[in-house]
Amino acid sequence: MIRSVYAKWLWDSRRSLLAWTLGILFVGCGYAAFWPTIDNPDIAELIANYPEAILEALNYTNITTPDGYLMATVYGLVVAVLMLVFAIASGTRIIAGEEEAGTLDVTLSHPVSRASVALQRVAAFVTAVVALVAVFWVAMLAVAGPASFDSVSPARFAAMHLHLGLFTVVFGCLSFAVGAATGRRALALAVGAVVGVIAYAASGIIPQVEGLEWVKDYSAFFWLTGSAPLTNGVDPAHVGIMLGLSVLFVAIGTVGLQRRDLAV
Amino acid sequence: MTEPVIEAQGLSKSYGSTVALRGLDLQVTPGQVFGFLGPNGAGKTTTIRILLDLIRQNSGSVRVLGLDPRDDGVALRRRIGYLEGDFVVDGRQSGHELLTYLGNLRGGVPASRITELAQRLRLDLRPKIKTLSKGNRQKVGLIQAFMHEPELLILDEPTGGLDPFLQQEFTAMAREVVAEGRTVFMSSHVMSEVQKTADRVGIIRDGLMASVDDVERLRESSIRHVEIVFADPVPAEEFAGIEGVSDLNVSGEVLRCRLDGSADALVKAAATHTVLSLTSQEPDLEEVFFHRYENGPAGHPASGAQS
Repeated sequence: MIRSVYAKWLWDSRRSLLAWTLGILFVGCGYAAFWPTIDNPDIAELIANYPEAILEALNYTNITTPDGYLMATVYGLVVAVLMLVFAIASGTRIIAGEEEAGTLDVTLSHPVSRASVALQRVAAFVTAVVALVAVFWVAMLAVAGPASFDSVSPARFAAMHLHLGLFTVVFGCLSFAVGAATGRRALALAVGAVVGVIAYAASGIIPQVEGLEWVKDYSAFFWLTGSAPLTNGVDPAHVGIMLGLSVLFVAIGTVGLQRRDLAV
Repeated sequence: MTEPVIEAQGLSKSYGSTVALRGLDLQVTPGQVFGFLGPNGAGKTTTIRILLDLIRQNSGSVRVLGLDPRDDGVALRRRIGYLEGDFVVDGRQSGHELLTYLGNLRGGVPASRITELAQRLRLDLRPKIKTLSKGNRQKVGLIQAFMHEPELLILDEPTGGLDPFLQQEFTAMAREVVAEGRTVFMSSHVMSEVQKTADRVGIIRDGLMASVDDVERLRESSIRHVEIVFADPVPAEEFAGIEGVSDLNVSGEVLRCRLDGSADALVKAAATHTVLSLTSQEPDLEEVFFHRYENGPAGHPASGAQS
């Protein structure tokens, strides 16, 4: 029995959530299972011969350790990109997607406030992200033994997955905010994607330019793996930034939604 | 006089450079079906969306059930049933699933009430909504507006897509609501539909209320096209001077004319001959408008109206 906008959102998203979860498990664990192939002297030698700048641009500097490898490939790249797409799509759908599809009116003509609808759906999105990174955490621990990266402790994986979850939430909240404040689906998708691409470049390639090293501090990709959570545990500063930005985005989107006309 | 259910004064609304409402006044008293009639683009949907706080007016004031939609939107919508002009929901759920959920948003609607309405409208609630025809989706929309027995029903073009049987059933449902002292505010661009259901009609045109009248009076005052076929040719001059008759055209046995007001004089004149058939056709809406602007007491200048 579905009694709230929150529960309705999760229930209606069940199929897409299952698909995203399976996709991320498949790709994430697949890349992780590749670790034993990387872990041999020939590869180490090959990597050592690369120019340092290229390794840094690709975040491959510590690729010869299991935690370094996982952060460079799984968490810093493939799963991050999948989560980014999931986040932008979900955040956009919360208001702007529904509004353009014409289904928002029915909900908002019921005795629920706009703020309540927005916040309940954002909460449902965050719940989905928590579930996704939790399931992915269990899967990584299950693969750790066979793929011989069990030297990384479950606690370190938990720290990494906290960063991954917040990374996803930040982008979801950004697209939500743009969509809720403007009602424009395409704009919400575009802002999320453009910010994502810039953030990726700002964590790897751009800092290689002399004098631009500082930009990485403003990149969500750097907040994701820059502090090496898989090696060092949770980084309070980066977690704090992502949390703070998410709250800010949700506030902007909710206030913006309350102040404007809804599209027919 | 009891407090009006809907009271709007000087409502104005523009979208960019498009002006939708230019100072609309509206008053709806309880216990009646109020038909909000006007051509597409006249501002009907804009007005309705302001009543529900889906959009906000640029100027003017509005109170619904004594509340301000902007300040007391949640409390207000609890007491309203609303059917939008284009009822769209996620099609991957059954009618039953959707209606139960929407009922829960209102604190719960008895399942028996939903089933009863579905049976009445002959709607199967089990299939996914995306598999339903347009008419059946409209029934889902009607049920969600009626099911919690709200004090005020706001229905934007409610009978679009319904077949004649269902239009009749809708009329019956609206009349029952009114019989219980509740109120129905429905928009339409079809005159005949409003005449069947409504007690009072407000005609909106170009963002202004052109006139408000009781349906009975509007029916009397509105013009019709009449065609009478006689057994033998009739002389045109016999009908020329009859009260209310204009655009007279007699060719042989067939008489065609425009009739304004009561049909009594024309029928009595025709009765002196053998009448084979008599049809009286309602004019389309535009014609009613033009007619009212030419003769009617509408206080606003009929900008753009051509006769």
